[in-house]
Amino acid sequence: MLEVAGLVTNYGMIEALKGVDISAAEGRITCVLGPNGAGKTTLLMTIAGLLRPRRGSVTFEGRDITGASSTTVVRQGLALVPENRLVFPDMTVRENLVAGAYTRLASERGEAMADLDRMLERFPVLQARVNANAGTLSGGEQQMLAVARALMTKPRCLLMDEPSLGLAPLIVAEVFNIIRELNEAGTTILLVEQNAHMALTVAHHFFLLDQGRVAFDGDPGTMAEDEVIQRAYLGSAGG
Amino acid sequence: MLDDHLIGVLSNMGMISFIALSAYLVLVVGEISFGQQAFFAISAYASGIASAMWGWPFLAAVLWGAAIAGLGGLLLAIPTLRIRGLYFAIATLAFAEMVRLALEIFTYQVEVDGELVGPDGSEGFRDIRYIYEADISAGEFLLVILGLLAVTLAIILWIERTRLGAILRMVGEDPALARLQGVNVNLAKIATVAAAGLVAGIGGALYAHLNTYVEPKIFNVMLGVHGLAYGLIGGLGTAFGPLLGVALDIGVLESTRAFSGYRMIVFGGLVAVLLIVRPRGLLDEAAVYRIRRFLLRKHAGD
Amino acid sequence: MADFLQNCLDGIATGAAYALLALGFTLIFGVLRRLNLSYGPSIMAGVFAGTALYMGFNAGLAEIAIATVIGAVVVGAYIERLCFWAIRKDMAVASMVSSFVIWMQIEEAVTLLFPDRTYAFPGILADAVVEFGPFFLRASSLAMLAIAAIAVLGLLALIYRTHFGLAVRAVSENPEAARVAGVNTGLVTFLAFACASALGGLAGFLIAAGDQQITPLFGLWATFKGLIAMMLGGMGSIPGAVLGGLLLGVVEANALWYLGVETRDLVAYMLLFVVLTFRPGGLMGQAALMARRAAESRV
Ligand SMILES: Nc1ncnc2c1ncn2[C@@H]1O[C@H](COP(=O)(O)OP(=O)(O)OP(=O)(O)O)[C@@H](O)[C@H]1O
Ligand SMILES: [Mg+2]
Repeated sequence: MLEVAGLVTNYGMIEALKGVDISAAEGRITCVLGPNGAGKTTLLMTIAGLLRPRRGSVTFEGRDITGASSTTVVRQGLALVPENRLVFPDMTVRENLVAGAYTRLASERGEAMADLDRMLERFPVLQARVNANAGTLSGGEQQMLAVARALMTKPRCLLMDEPSLGLAPLIVAEVFNIIRELNEAGTTILLVEQNAHMALTVAHHFFLLDQGRVAFDGDPGTMAEDEVIQRAYLGSAGG
Repeated sequence: MLDDHLIGVLSNMGMISFIALSAYLVLVVGEISFGQQAFFAISAYASGIASAMWGWPFLAAVLWGAAIAGLGGLLLAIPTLRIRGLYFAIATLAFAEMVRLALEIFTYQVEVDGELVGPDGSEGFRDIRYIYEADISAGEFLLVILGLLAVTLAIILWIERTRLGAILRMVGEDPALARLQGVNVNLAKIATVAAAGLVAGIGGALYAHLNTYVEPKIFNVMLGVHGLAYGLIGGLGTAFGPLLGVALDIGVLESTRAFSGYRMIVFGGLVAVLLIVRPRGLLDEAAVYRIRRFLLRKHAGD
Repeated sequence: MADFLQNCLDGIATGAAYALLALGFTLIFGVLRRLNLSYGPSIMAGVFAGTALYMGFNAGLAEIAIATVIGAVVVGAYIERLCFWAIRKDMAVASMVSSFVIWMQIEEAVTLLFPDRTYAFPGILADAVVEFGPFFLRASSLAMLAIAAIAVLGLLALIYRTHFGLAVRAVSENPEAARVAGVNTGLVTFLAFACASALGGLAGFLIAAGDQQITPLFGLWATFKGLIAMMLGGMGSIPGAVLGGLLLGVVEANALWYLGVETRDLVAYMLLFVVLTFRPGGLMGQAALMARRAAESRV
């Protein structure tokens, strides 16, 4: 569904991605692991059209979206839940969700508003604070809002950048439940995670990114057996 | 001998260089000032008063003017300590306009040799006649300007090479980090802004004595913006940067009259494009580093 | 006392013009978190487009108003591309300096095309005066007040009631999140800039029509008055722009009456300096303080 080939992205002189090949199969959860600074965020931002690649290609559902603007990418059905949950702090929860549906407002406003009601049903924590400013929500609530806002674009593929970062274990479990449910409802997911244990419970396929290159590519079974990954990511619990 | 036109151009460049250096010092500690013309003005008046009205010798009058301008710098720096960025820039602009408008109503005259001398509001301040009375030629005065400029530049360059210079740059780049390292950021800023006032003041005193006449409207915002732009054109990596900016604008654009009539269009466009492609000027930190390395290698090769 | 009240009335009339100028400023600042110092000169260029139509073709008021607005928008678009779009987002101060040098460019271009000191501009309601008991107000000022009020309501409706306004607020609060949501931030910024310039063009037309003349110095005047008014109210705040404009007008009118013409501008700058140093968020405080933190990016 989503294929990335030979992707190279720079920050000025620094090459953050040095030729990355990954793919996300339709209806699956694909997880990208990697240490800090490996280039995971850079990869997702490049796919989402927030950064322009130097070389390589991004193909979504057979269409080439390399270097397309984020607006185009969103319209194609690809949505990003960014790292650090960038919400609009001085807008209400409802306004945040409406802003999420921005690309649909002109053409299918009614449907978008119906989705908004459904979204509030789906996320009771947001329903409870629907008229509060997003900046006043807790970290977990903001993460839910960021996911819900991305879903308002009606994506067929969701890119998620470390959704468990900085959340309490209970909330992390809830986030992963949501990921599983979304996937069961048919959304393809490309997930970036540091929390390999949680990722193992949901993902169907793994990539390991290290210093801008893919260092491992395999299913959960092979990954759990891989010695390097064992030591680096699964630690004592895995051994 | 140099011809009069050339002497005039060089004198002009020398005096404007003081404003450019002054704006540059503020830039080094990370702030933008649209108001350095205020200190140029304060010193032009203060030094003129000292020499024409109190009969002080020239050099004493220049130092007095510069000192008063430095005090003016303190007056600006202390209340604006808490504000930064756009707010600081606009505050300097307001300060400079306050000074200019205050000079528009400032009247203080005494009788010297049967004539009333002194600032007379918007009429300006006439008869700062020191260089006529002492019979100093334009060429000699140019030497005075260049001498003072050389001393000022040497001091700034020397400071830049010391630990103090490194500290000031750190304050400009990352005040939070500087504070963590134990640097007194507030003191560094106050001292720099005051020193910047003093540097602009030297230029102002020279200006008043060369022209024998000043009026408040000379010291408008455009003077300050030019001073600021010179650093941004020439580069913020070294004190030679602002001088390069002055040389490019006055030395090339103005004196050759290459673009007379539409010089501001060229100058404005030039600065705007430079801000896009080289936001820290031609001689930015990276360029200075490369030049220094090149010179060192050549030196070692000899 | 009667003097004071009449002064305040005069001040509110001028203040309405300041408020209109400050509104455009605040809109640009709100979206970009950057200052456009060339705002006044772009309006001035627009007014000169209007005056050219007036003198060259003896055009009617409506055509002149349209020419003024178009002129301001075209010059505004030039500024937006050169000083804002092309400069890195984190360099607010570089943009401000750039807009300052472009100011000089615009002013010289206009003086080359219009070498005389002043040019005539058609008046509206020029000599009519409205009386309230012992007090009076020029009808053109009253019209300006009414239009300023309409402009504020229109702007508030645009920002809080439309899709475009939602996008503007999204970009203003968090440009990256806005892009993630699929908002074309470049286009939204450009359009917001164009709106501000159009508003400025309208303000310029009304002010020039009130004065029945225009000089190249209008650019400087408009930038400074708009800037002071906006900063008094609080950068980025729409109600603040109106409050700041009216306050500036009232203070100036009283300073003029009690202290004289030289002191009037001095008092205005002192007010600005004091507000900047003691209450950088402006009078509307909190809303603008948020903006302040974002604006404090460095060289
Ligand atoms: N805006 C930037 N400018 C310059 N370099 C950057 C920038 N953002 C990231 N980098 C560099 O690019 C590399 C990859 O960064 P990236 O944020 O993609 O890593 P990551 O895998 O997401 O790390 P983390 O797990 O900490 O989020 C790092 O070396 C980082 O220092
Ligand atoms: Mg990351």
